[in-house]
Amino acid sequence: MTNHWIDIKNADVIFIIGSNAAENHPISFRWVLKAMEDRGAKLIVIDPRYTKSASLASLYAPIRPGTDIAFLNGIISYALENSRIQKEYVLEYTNASYLVSPDFAFNDGLFSGYDPGKRNYGDRKTWAYQADANKLPKRDKSLKDPNCVYQLMKKHYGRYTPEKVEAITGCPKNVFIKVADLFTSTCKPDQVATIMYAMGITQHTVGTQNVRALAILQLLMGNMGLAGGGINALRGESNVQGSTDHGLLFHIIPGYLPAPSAKDHPTLEAYNKTTPQTADPMSINWWSNRTKYLVSMLKAWFGDAATTKNDFCYNWLPKFGKPSPFILLFEDMLKGVIKGAFYMGTNPVVGSPNANRAAQAMEKLDWLVAADLWETDSSIFWKRPGANPKAIKTEVFLLPAAASMEKEGSISNSGRWAQWRYKAVNPPGKAKSDLDIIDLVFKEVRSLYNKEGGKLPDPILKANWSYIPEDGHEASPHLVAKEINGYTWQTKDQMGTFMDLKDDGSTACGNWIYCGSYPGPGKNLMARRGADDAPNNIGMFPEWAWCWPLNRRIIYNRAAVNRMGEPWAPDRWVVKWTGGTWKGDIVDGGPKFGPDQKNPFIMNNEGVGRLFAVGKALTDGPFTEHYEPMETPTRNIMNSQKVNPASVIINEVAGQFGNVGQYPYVATSYRVVEHWQAGAMTRNLTWLTELVPDMFCEISPTLAAAKGIKNGDRVAIYNARGRIKAYALVTERVQPLKVNGRMVELVGMIWHFGPGCAATGDACNQLTPSIGDANTMIPEFKAFLVDIRKEA
Amino acid sequence: MSGKAFLVDTTKCSGCRSCQVACKQWNNLPGEKTTFFAGPEYTNPAELSAITFNHVKFFPIDRSYPDKPLWTIMHKKCYHCEQANCLRACPVEAISKQNGWVVIDQSKCIGCGACENECIYKVPHVLGEDLKKYGSEQPLEKDKSYKCHACTVNKRKMPACAFHCPTGALTYGDRGMLLKKAKARVIQVSADYPHVMLYGEDQFGGLGVLTILKDLPEKYGLPLRPKPIDIKKAEAIRDTYHLLALFTFGLPSLKRVAYKISRSMVG
Ligand code: SF4
Ligand code: SF4
Ligand code: SF4
Ligand code: SF4
Repeated sequence: MTNHWIDIKNADVIFIIGSNAAENHPISFRWVLKAMEDRGAKLIVIDPRYTKSASLASLYAPIRPGTDIAFLNGIISYALENSRIQKEYVLEYTNASYLVSPDFAFNDGLFSGYDPGKRNYGDRKTWAYQADANKLPKRDKSLKDPNCVYQLMKKHYGRYTPEKVEAITGCPKNVFIKVADLFTSTCKPDQVATIMYAMGITQHTVGTQNVRALAILQLLMGNMGLAGGGINALRGESNVQGSTDHGLLFHIIPGYLPAPSAKDHPTLEAYNKTTPQTADPMSINWWSNRTKYLVSMLKAWFGDAATTKNDFCYNWLPKFGKPSPFILLFEDMLKGVIKGAFYMGTNPVVGSPNANRAAQAMEKLDWLVAADLWETDSSIFWKRPGANPKAIKTEVFLLPAAASMEKEGSISNSGRWAQWRYKAVNPPGKAKSDLDIIDLVFKEVRSLYNKEGGKLPDPILKANWSYIPEDGHEASPHLVAKEINGYTWQTKDQMGTFMDLKDDGSTACGNWIYCGSYPGPGKNLMARRGADDAPNNIGMFPEWAWCWPLNRRIIYNRAAVNRMGEPWAPDRWVVKWTGGTWKGDIVDGGPKFGPDQKNPFIMNNEGVGRLFAVGKALTDGPFTEHYEPMETPTRNIMNSQKVNPASVIINEVAGQFGNVGQYPYVATSYRVVEHWQAGAMTRNLTWLTELVPDMFCEISPTLAAAKGIKNGDRVAIYNARGRIKAYALVTERVQPLKVNGRMVELVGMIWHFGPGCAATGDACNQLTPSIGDANTMIPEFKAFLVDIRKEA
Repeated sequence: MSGKAFLVDTTKCSGCRSCQVACKQWNNLPGEKTTFFAGPEYTNPAELSAITFNHVKFFPIDRSYPDKPLWTIMHKKCYHCEQANCLRACPVEAISKQNGWVVIDQSKCIGCGACENECIYKVPHVLGEDLKKYGSEQPLEKDKSYKCHACTVNKRKMPACAFHCPTGALTYGDRGMLLKKAKARVIQVSADYPHVMLYGEDQFGGLGVLTILKDLPEKYGLPLRPKPIDIKKAEAIRDTYHLLALFTFGLPSLKRVAYKISRSMVG
């Protein structure tokens, strides 16, 4: 989230898309309803189903799964056509007036630079600004130049008329227009909309572009940086924000630094050559500090071994030969490239796309270690229905892990608040915290390297690893947190801000964005519980826990004021510039620059919000364009590309993709409040299985009638990847949608069930495809094709 | 009345069922064995029972307003009537008012089922089998009647269900204040819900659970003008029952028959 949970109460319009927040983020609705009750805010919910969130909405719009871009581009078009944009903000704080290379082109769904053989945009040179003699981007503040971003947008987005939106998404035109009108009412400087989204936006072959479309809308409305605004990713697990911050994903290392690639970044020098640069005095270009963060991280990891002479052991940092997203890990298991696996808090037999294939891949493993509370669907994969235990040679170890209440540490919520949590009870038996498990395994591995040597022993032998406190015998989360925070190497003083990190080895810091969270002995700011609000009274509660970066509660908050430093929305100001100083939230980019000296979007090297995504930031296009999901019930009427032309297709599974002739119904997957993710924690608890005891799907009365299915019947749902059984919930909340002149039916499924634990059921993910987003490879869980029939 | 009350605001309920689970947890009630969904939409179990003191009812969606379909989700438990049929009917005074709340004393209950029969909201239930409390050796006894006791038994400052409601749909507080709040809320949302109304101000002399309904109460099985059982009549039924009870040999099943006969005899 650019903002945070409580801040939702400050919105005038709340726009929920690709999320059923009432169901999956129940607490968020405390703030949604508060905004509605206290400020008369309006709630818009866009969803294929009439959900619990929709039941509380002022305005509900149905759409077909996988058509978010068509809908959002339609709103962008509506805003541009009707001049419903925040003009001053757009001129000052976005690249609307920047001139794009005249060689940039868009033709029938393809942007310039596409290589059809490789299915990628290897050449993105034309996705660039025109530069003047001082290397600054050229601008036309009158917005008339045909190559300025604003004019290019009018051309690109003008194609998304309400009629096209209706034909693609199935949302009736009049409903779409109501949504567009209500959302764009926040183009007034003092009107603010927040956008809440989740996996319904990201889990698509166009997931990243879906988020881009949201960002473009919020920039056009002038809603970024303001209280009650922003783009708010509702994270699906209590600490998934923390794990992403610390480098969970394959393409980033801690603090969102790009993961080094073996080919492009063999040396520190090569890595540093890619540090973002700017010639613009108005730009802060925060990423110019990147080297300091990387070197400080290496110093934290390798300690005394990391010196200027050896580039701080950059050589020891693992580098990827090819991208290794989740889907490809299982392909590598299947090929026998990956021989062993450690599972901590993961349950791929239920949670992986194409779950049958994932389970088959696991059969190829020599060994599997599962650190879990108890047996899960995945640690007993070898005896799942249909498997032959005798033929599976994998040796499985189950390490008993402590549950969240049985260990201490920080968790970071969606609003970036790192909150310290205490241990309530000791773990039962020999169960240990994840930290302790990792510490013990590491030491064992190190002693093996000591005894037996190995291919590259140094990173293990010389790692700076010491997390056992003097008076204890278990690894301490405080020592880890202090290392993450950072300290001066010579004096071992905890640091207060990443502004003081250096690239010469004099500072060590595990993750720069957390610098300041633990600034001194006994000063664990994440454990703070101050319940007073700040003077601007907008619910920031700055002394409750700590949030990155530097306890800034709303990021990009320089955009909350005009160039004079006056808040756009004075009744809920975030920061303001008075008498030469900033008041309110910790201002972005450092307090010494006034509002007219620096641009607000400090993480972009031009310092303004990108309506047009220049350079190599994205793999699949500078503007958002509608493509159909990999498995679609219809043709693409916007261009002659079917699926996102830059999405990676894995040859081995291409034969499993189905078409509408074979599998006529659009399927999507989702969660219910009663179960947690892959269900291993909730399917053993009778208070919850009383509420949702079984795997079920939701279908419309019309589909039910056509198939002779009654509410509560057992049905089979199937495609080329699998066949599952479920109960059918026949409900008026699901309705067929008219898409390109034809009625399209939906089969909605929960994905919490699997063959293990007390309450068992078939896993929805046996049906989901192995294809991912062009940028992140997040799987397309949210739109695929199936057939359904009543079970005899 | 205790001066306290609950307010259920269905215009704020997100159907998260924290209330349902919190009650089970704080009262150590076992989960029920269910299959699929026993009631409409996600409703589970279909009705209250001796081990389910509150549940969330999901009504079928009403699409008669095309622009704004209406889906009502309602927390339901004992309404703690001022003039409580269950209390009036109980032949052994096992039901009493505690601080204004209607509470069953299981040690006095003889399992006759009078309360179960007379409560028009189908709240109390006589347990059909011996069970153990969740995570404890304490019994839940066969042939005893159980229902919501407003958390008077587990001695919480704030009843568990209300404490755990994340949205503010279920609140607990001073009844007068809640009434004021509820009336203001009804006005506030009347544009969105043309038939919105407050239920519970006067029914049975005033309910301890006030409910803001998105539509007319009959749609939700809540009669607008229910008639409390007449005190004289209740006494007559009790007297007849005491006579017949001499022939029930202490068997709860016969007691239940005896109660039904007494009721039909008094008419
Ligand atoms: S709702 Fe039923 S059980 Fe509750 S007090 Fe009223 S009559 Fe008794
Ligand atoms: S079952 Fe009979 S004795 Fe027990 S509380 Fe109900 S009315 Fe009273
Ligand atoms: S008041 Fe207490 S006993 Fe009654 S439903 Fe709520 S939690 Fe259960
Ligand atoms: S806890 Fe509150 S919001 Fe959740 S179902 Fe109960 S009343 Fe509704």
